[in-house]
Amino acid sequence: MSLTSPLFFAFLAAVVTAFHISESVIYRRFVLGAANAIFIASYLNDVTQVLPLLAFLALGYLCVSALYLRQSALALALGVVAILCCYVFLKRFSFFEGLGQLPFPYLTIGLSYILFRILHIMVDVRSGDLTERIGPLAFFRFTCNFLCFVSGPIQRYQDFSAMDGKAAVQLDAAAVYAAFSRIATGYVKFVIIAATANYAFTFLSPQLLQPAGLSFLKLCAVYATVASLYTVYLYFNFSGYMDIVIGIGTLLGQTLPENFDKPFSARSFLEFWQRWHMTLSQWFKFYLFNPLLMFLMTWLPSPALTSYLGVLAFFITFGVMGVWHGTTAVFVIYGLLMGAGASINKLWQVACTERFGKKRYRALTESTAYIYSARGLTVAYFVLALTCLWVPELPQFTALVARLGFAGVVGAFAVVAVVFGIAALILDFVQTRLRIPTLAAIQGGEITRNLNLAGKMMAIVAVATLLHKAPDFVYKAF
Amino acid sequence: MKYILRQSALTLLSFAFLYVLLAGASFLVFPDPSSAGPRDFQAAEQTLYMTVPKYVFLGRSVLANPDQKIILVGASNTGVGFRQKQVQSKLGCAKVSNLAMGGANISEVQQVIDLVHEVQTDQERRQNTFVMGIWFGMFIDSDVKFADGDRHRGETDIDIERYRYGFYRRTPNGPVAVLPPQWLDAGVMAIRPFLLLEKAAREARAGVNLVMTGRTSAQRTDQERESVVMSDADKQKALEYWKETMGRTNDISPAQVEVLKQTIRTLLDSGEKVVLVDLPIPAWHRDASPYEPSYRLALKGLLREFGDRPNFVSLSMDDLDNDLDYSDEVHAKQHLANVWSARLATTLDSFVCQQNPGNAPRVTTLRSSEQVTAAPQVTATPDN
Repeated sequence: MSLTSPLFFAFLAAVVTAFHISESVIYRRFVLGAANAIFIASYLNDVTQVLPLLAFLALGYLCVSALYLRQSALALALGVVAILCCYVFLKRFSFFEGLGQLPFPYLTIGLSYILFRILHIMVDVRSGDLTERIGPLAFFRFTCNFLCFVSGPIQRYQDFSAMDGKAAVQLDAAAVYAAFSRIATGYVKFVIIAATANYAFTFLSPQLLQPAGLSFLKLCAVYATVASLYTVYLYFNFSGYMDIVIGIGTLLGQTLPENFDKPFSARSFLEFWQRWHMTLSQWFKFYLFNPLLMFLMTWLPSPALTSYLGVLAFFITFGVMGVWHGTTAVFVIYGLLMGAGASINKLWQVACTERFGKKRYRALTESTAYIYSARGLTVAYFVLALTCLWVPELPQFTALVARLGFAGVVGAFAVVAVVFGIAALILDFVQTRLRIPTLAAIQGGEITRNLNLAGKMMAIVAVATLLHKAPDFVYKAF
Repeated sequence: MKYILRQSALTLLSFAFLYVLLAGASFLVFPDPSSAGPRDFQAAEQTLYMTVPKYVFLGRSVLANPDQKIILVGASNTGVGFRQKQVQSKLGCAKVSNLAMGGANISEVQQVIDLVHEVQTDQERRQNTFVMGIWFGMFIDSDVKFADGDRHRGETDIDIERYRYGFYRRTPNGPVAVLPPQWLDAGVMAIRPFLLLEKAAREARAGVNLVMTGRTSAQRTDQERESVVMSDADKQKALEYWKETMGRTNDISPAQVEVLKQTIRTLLDSGEKVVLVDLPIPAWHRDASPYEPSYRLALKGLLREFGDRPNFVSLSMDDLDNDLDYSDEVHAKQHLANVWSARLATTLDSFVCQQNPGNAPRVTTLRSSEQVTAAPQVTATPDN
């Protein structure tokens, strides 16, 4: 069910209306469960397509149930291995082709995020953080919540359970307007900004993959532009999607976790990942980085090594996070680039602290030149690393890198860093100096704010028809 | 729930208010030319519809009338080469509309004809004369021709317009009408606010182009095209482009030939007239292209099949192949377009108006610097 299809809006209206007909928790849980089932069914052409997903869920529930009975490390390890093997098989990773595959097409959308939710429950049950017994229907509502099914945000079960079927958000006129406005803003991002960036990206990117035709300088310029356009597309597509589901969540009494917090204002690569796809970063922090670091520190207990063990843990965590994004060999490169980015950032912090001392280093990081240089470098690194997502096949990827060469990659990196750094500086300057107080006052009135909302809707419809190809949600593929 | 219902009502009311406001503005800026009759669809840019495919799709109901109609279909060289106003000025008995579309293949031409038929009664259809301008570059399979990233593979510009406003829906078997054709004008009325917004967006883009490049669009004007002389490198590039675009090594698509045959057969069987125009291209291109021989063979087959049919006539202008008369490898310059238009008008006059080809006047044609005289080569005639 596409987010922009009339069917989705009809579905949404029906779910919201049905949810509010009664305040009975049992009834509302039934409505949400049925909504999840209908949402998943909308992706199916044949009932057999859902069987692998159901099997995966059943295996997950079995593992969780086993852990309630026996909270041992061995049970957890066996469960995690079983779940991961099943996931890798169903996702058809190209480097595990030897495992074979099921002889019929089936649904893979949502698998990655279901995996995170199941592993989180298993680990928390084992650690004792989650003592509440989860029934099969609650397990289904949590793992397959239609708002988070396609690509998160990744909720904790404890947070989900607190509002499962209950109206956790008290709806009044202001809250409902805020929800409507958030949904409209999400569609503006998704349908107007992201789709326009994608249009330009689709127009320009074929030039890069052609064997010849561009001079070296033009190639670098086109590459920097295309990579930046893809990043704009990815961010507005994903954050727009999040705005839409968080807004809908409010209307259903749910508070879904935020996934973005101005990522392009980050002053380092590590900070960037605290602001980008936050629920994924937090999941990896809790369930991979922290246990891994603890293990390494136990294994090599020397205090002098602690910082470097942190670097290693960052490399592994970001590496795994990168590989998770796709099923081809290029995503291993993406993982290595993410790991390298995080490790270099951590090493830089360690080296600077050792050289200047904490106080001077902190003072240095607060200087204007450092801030905008760091922001430019951070974004440039991320923009270029994302190439792996839009050139996912290894032969094309290596051909592009070979054409650019070291000088081309460095040149494009420098261009993106400088342009973004200067743009951020100018934008921040303008924002702090120029304030338009009357605008907020105008938007405060009921008529004007509703006209503003309707204006967004009008623009969304106009641009959607102008660009004619319904935008798809990019993270659905991951 | 009451807050949700209240907010939904407020949002809908606000939306309706803006909608009515924009609809009113659209009528003020672009008054609806309600009178049925000929239209220059090539002038889409000056209308609310902006592009030829959109104008053809949304504005075709003007062709639903009992008048004698001449409807030109084909690709951009038909659009550029046959000037609606010039052809119309020489024909008193019929109303001329040029529905040619840039980049059209034969399948898309067939779609345009189907769209026209959708809004006409059987009686109105019998008043149609379709002028089909063809050349080898139109015989490309849709899956090859329409494969760029911003469309579903194989979907033509007409398909895009069908789906754009939900007038049709996409199915595995192709487009299915959601809005009955007789409701087309009402549908167009309903989307006028959005057409106006799109028009504003395009005008804004043209403004940005003007600031950035000093011109509103990359498309050359007639005056600019008049002075173009292709270099050898340009010619080589053009040949490579067509090799890449055709999707075949050295022949045209047989499937597209079949589509053309079927289209002509259907038109003739339903009592409509067909003028098949073999559009000339510059001599250098014709002689160097590997597709020309198979195109000639296909054309010969078509003429053999339909040449004797009443209501069918073909027009060849292969003497108009002077390289300097073309602005690129396909498109006639304005002065040559005048000649094309005059020749077509002469043929149509005898075929449609006088219904007596023997009276067709001879046409004086300017060929670059020399003046030549050539008669229109009518290879078949109606027998009524």
